[in-house]
Amino acid sequence: MSLVNLAHVCSHLQNASRARLGLTSVPSTNLHLTLLLALQNSGFLSSVTRGGITPPPMDQLSSYVPEPVTQSNIATRRLWLGLKYWNNEPVLSEMKMVSKPTKRVWMDVEGLGKIVRGRQAGEIKGLTRPGECMYVSTDKGILESRECVERRVGGMLLCRVL
Amino acid sequence: MSVSRPARCLFSHPPIPTVRPRVRCRNFHTSPNLCERRRPRFPNIKAADMGLVDKPMPPPQELFRAYSEEEKALLAKKYTPEQIRAIEAGEAAIRPEDLDRQGVVRTDAGTLPYLDDFRHYRNVVDKRPQDETPEDPNTRFMTEEELGRSFSDYFHKLDKENPPPVRKPPQAGDQQFNPTRLNLLRADYEAPSYMGTNGPLPAGQSLLAPALPKDFSLDDTPAVKKEAAQEEDDENARDQLGVYKQLRKQTGLTMDDIMKLRVKTLVINYVTNQTRLGKIQSVLVLAIAGNGNGRLGVGQAKGQEMENTLNLARIAAIRNMQPVPRYEDRTVYGEVEGKVSAVKVQLMARPPGFGLRCQHIIFEMARAAGIHDLAARVPRSRNKMNTVKAAYQALMKQRIPDEVARGLGKKLVDVRKVYYGGRV
Repeated sequence: MSLVNLAHVCSHLQNASRARLGLTSVPSTNLHLTLLLALQNSGFLSSVTRGGITPPPMDQLSSYVPEPVTQSNIATRRLWLGLKYWNNEPVLSEMKMVSKPTKRVWMDVEGLGKIVRGRQAGEIKGLTRPGECMYVSTDKGILESRECVERRVGGMLLCRVL
Repeated sequence: MSVSRPARCLFSHPPIPTVRPRVRCRNFHTSPNLCERRRPRFPNIKAADMGLVDKPMPPPQELFRAYSEEEKALLAKKYTPEQIRAIEAGEAAIRPEDLDRQGVVRTDAGTLPYLDDFRHYRNVVDKRPQDETPEDPNTRFMTEEELGRSFSDYFHKLDKENPPPVRKPPQAGDQQFNPTRLNLLRADYEAPSYMGTNGPLPAGQSLLAPALPKDFSLDDTPAVKKEAAQEEDDENARDQLGVYKQLRKQTGLTMDDIMKLRVKTLVINYVTNQTRLGKIQSVLVLAIAGNGNGRLGVGQAKGQEMENTLNLARIAAIRNMQPVPRYEDRTVYGEVEGKVSAVKVQLMARPPGFGLRCQHIIFEMARAAGIHDLAARVPRSRNKMNTVKAAYQALMKQRIPDEVARGLGKKLVDVRKVYYGGRV
């Protein structure tokens, strides 16, 4: 679980949003895939597609079947992400790491409950801005913090998205 | 009473009872003496005596009384006994309490935006009423011949009523048929096409849209003109120096409107331009204006004269007023941050009754904008001018939850409004 690469993904998504790109790609790993699917589930991304160096065909993004991953092409696999914009503003405008590669942060349900209600827990600021989300890596996969509180699981805080 | 002083009133007896000015005695309790208590100089006047309080409504039984014998006698002249019985049954069916509570002008969400009792049909505002006359059971569609005759009759009638402006001279072989397009279309649409028991049924609807009322405004009538001129004079008299003259002309604000705004000068800087010929002093002024109900503007002006520059800044602020998004008309949406130069301003939403706990500049801005609960932090530089600008920027760039929800494609619900019925 490389948080260095995840940090790169975070800043890449911020940059791509500011550049008003419609489609962008990040390296394909299981961590990235589950996190980005969680983002898509929350509505920050319009699509997450597995593909290679070239983008998948835009007209059949949903029905597209990627070529199978083999030993020879695994290094070149990428995740292609559709970005969203609303009212001339990117829907995903800010994405920042909470855990850092040198300092990982874990939190239990009580702490997450505080954060979800907009209070500070430890040194982690609450989710006070409208539409702000935090993603947590748990036993049940990568979940949004509100869902974590609902399902009573804690875990490692990955990143906060606005 | 302090402990260090003796209680004179208890222990001191004046040896000689003489006429002396009254000595101020100290009491054992903190409230003032009865004779020293403040008495109002005027007797209290009740608000009801001044006519400020509405009279309590009489009970509904008195408000909606049953018909007296005389009224019944009068009704009997107009209506048959059966109708009278129906009226009485109707009267008995509705209790006066219900009539009092429900027979009022509606103010809820389903109310029409205008006052109307629906007695009269009004062309533009109302929908066209349906024809509710009984249907003819023998109605049938016309045969081809009848249809042709009906059309040609109707067309000739229209042609006679609205003749074409220029008639073409009849030519050989021409059947003298040069209709206007309107007449032709009207004849096509309005000519009767159904046959009833007593001849053709009128088609009913007209092709033409109902005419718009022509005199919408009363602006041109002499009385209104005179009144407007009078108002203009009054306004000019109130603004004798002509400070707001241009503003009034451009925005249509009256002096009343302008005076009601909360205008405040927040920053005054004396600045100097060093030129070849020497220093040129001027004043830089930043003012804000708000209506105390969700509009706020910031105005900046620079000039040599203090008074003039202050006025210019205020006027610029009034002109720049823009709506500020407010949550429940009292605070901001979540946490917002504005940054101008090295000044960062964080504004944070707070619960009702919290008040404006922030520095004086942001306090004034919030008050002018009509924000009542707010916390703010200015963590870095505190340059006044940039604080105003950063706070304005923060107020203006709030993320509205509805917009966020539309962007995410999610349903967001305000818990305060849903679970507690807005009664929090």
